[in-house]
Amino acid sequence: METTIFYIFAIVILIFSVLAVTSRRILRAAVYFLFVLLAVAGLFFLLSFNFLAAVQLTVYAGGIIVLFIFSIMLTSQVNDKLEPIAAKKIIFSLLAAIAGAVVCISAIMTYRFSEPKNIEVDAGMKTIGKYLLSYGENGYALPFEVISLLLLASLIGAIMIAKRDNT
Amino acid sequence: MTIDQFLLMKNEILLIAIAVIVLIIDLMTDNKKILFPVMIILFIFTTVIGFIYQTDGELFGGMYRSTPLINMMKNILNTGVLIILLQSAGWLINKAENHENIGGFCFILISSLAGMCFMISSGDFLMFYLGLELATIPIAALVAYEKMKFLSAEAGTKFILSAVLSSGILLYGISILYGTNGSILFKDLNNSVEITNLQALAFIFILSGIAFKISLVPFHLWTADVYEGAPVNITSFLSSISKAASVFILLILLFTVFINFSEIWNELLVYLSILTMTIGNLFAIRQQNLKRFLAFSSIAQAGFIPLGFIGGTSLGASTVLYFLLIYVFSNLGAFGVVSVVTSATGKESMNDYNGFYKTNRGLSIVMMLSLFSLAGIPPVAGFFSKFFLFTIAAKQGYYFLLFIAVINATISLYYYLLVVKAMFINENEQPIEKITSDVYAKLGLAICVLGIVFTGLFGIIFDYINTLSKGI
Repeated sequence: METTIFYIFAIVILIFSVLAVTSRRILRAAVYFLFVLLAVAGLFFLLSFNFLAAVQLTVYAGGIIVLFIFSIMLTSQVNDKLEPIAAKKIIFSLLAAIAGAVVCISAIMTYRFSEPKNIEVDAGMKTIGKYLLSYGENGYALPFEVISLLLLASLIGAIMIAKRDNT
Repeated sequence: MTIDQFLLMKNEILLIAIAVIVLIIDLMTDNKKILFPVMIILFIFTTVIGFIYQTDGELFGGMYRSTPLINMMKNILNTGVLIILLQSAGWLINKAENHENIGGFCFILISSLAGMCFMISSGDFLMFYLGLELATIPIAALVAYEKMKFLSAEAGTKFILSAVLSSGILLYGISILYGTNGSILFKDLNNSVEITNLQALAFIFILSGIAFKISLVPFHLWTADVYEGAPVNITSFLSSISKAASVFILLILLFTVFINFSEIWNELLVYLSILTMTIGNLFAIRQQNLKRFLAFSSIAQAGFIPLGFIGGTSLGASTVLYFLLIYVFSNLGAFGVVSVVTSATGKESMNDYNGFYKTNRGLSIVMMLSLFSLAGIPPVAGFFSKFFLFTIAAKQGYYFLLFIAVINATISLYYYLLVVKAMFINENEQPIEKITSDVYAKLGLAICVLGIVFTGLFGIIFDYINTLSKGI
């Protein structure tokens, strides 16, 4: 049963991610991408990482896609369509994609994965919260702070680009 | 955590503090010119502290590490950014259209430097990745700083798209490595990585992600357009500081995590090196725009760096560091002159520099020294660093690579001298008028000249780096 559900999610992810990058209307691409994120949340549920799945749903599917759609609405016309791509480009990118997939899949298939040692992982909110802000072994306080700096710097950069010049 | 442990991160903490102070001053005053001297003084303070106070240790369960060698790398980056800040003073302060965003410019530049420091100090792939992104994403805003110019905006877009693509490839590599080893800590991976198809693939993905940032051929295609479109000072930042930081982390990764893969990366780096040197040179010869010319010359220069990696010796590591130290000085010297000239006259073409010596003696001598150092002409430092790199390759028996490298060094001599010839020998009826550069730019160029002349003459500097690199 679990395997079947996994494959369903996997197929959804595959189809919609291909659609998202090939769609000529940017708003549709955003919606296809939403389905990809939803299916990924489903995978997390399947692994019983419930908190992670909830975060995936609220932050990515809820927040980020809405931001995408807002910025698309603000910057371009909804009915805008991209130029059709030249046949030569399609052929070359298909070849590159297939070659990449063959290399990756063959490498993955030939690798003998060792059995995971500790399957029972406590992924509750309490544990995650504790490790996120602890600074000892396995503590993630430093990455947490660096991410906040990254967001601040990106924000300032975005404001610099977007604000109107007074001079 | 005690205060001693915090002091391990002194460089990052000081940099972030400066960035925040800049932001606060920027918010509080309308006169943006005050901001610059304050920041420069604080930054000089940080740079000097970096040289005086050495740290050694680990934090956050091995996520952050600091060794004397890593300290030295940070010192090189700090010095480079100090020079760039000094050089950009004229461009930021004297031009009215740039006034508005001085605070943002400095904040992003410094926080990006902090990102590089975190990246070099990282002890696991999470911190490595975050540092890399902090060093890259905000810089896109600076590349597009002159957003009213079409070229600059285009360069910003190209930069962010190629950065995202390379990060994607890198992340895929990291995730494969995690899937096969169950850890992203360098010290765990060090023992557990082994040559299998999948892990080798992961390694190649990670290598290509970093090669994008160093712009080794065939990952260089974004470089020329971005370098040409960005403001000169950002171009010099990308071509020296960004590149140096990526080489440093590549050095650490190859020599610690992927040391078992040395057969694979020795061979790969030979090909990358040959391709990069040759193609960078062939394109550099044809350039007429001086910025674009320096961009391609910096690609060709990056091709020499892998020579030091070959064999994975600690002597090679110190040679790479030494090469980059001198490269930062020489490249920033050349870019500094271009920056002064561009911000004063807006001229970038090589023909504009005809007869430059008659009107601007000081600037043309700085330019000449930098180009001699980039080309590797004996009395200046660039000769020694290149010579040491060649020695490393020769010791390991890679004579064919050495042969190609020497040929390329000779070709590069030709086009560097072309610029020197334009400045000193070519006649021009209307040469660029006498430019009086400001104090900041003079100080920046002076540091470059001192670096170019003295790092080569005193063997003690190389010996010092060499003692540090034992503990990589």
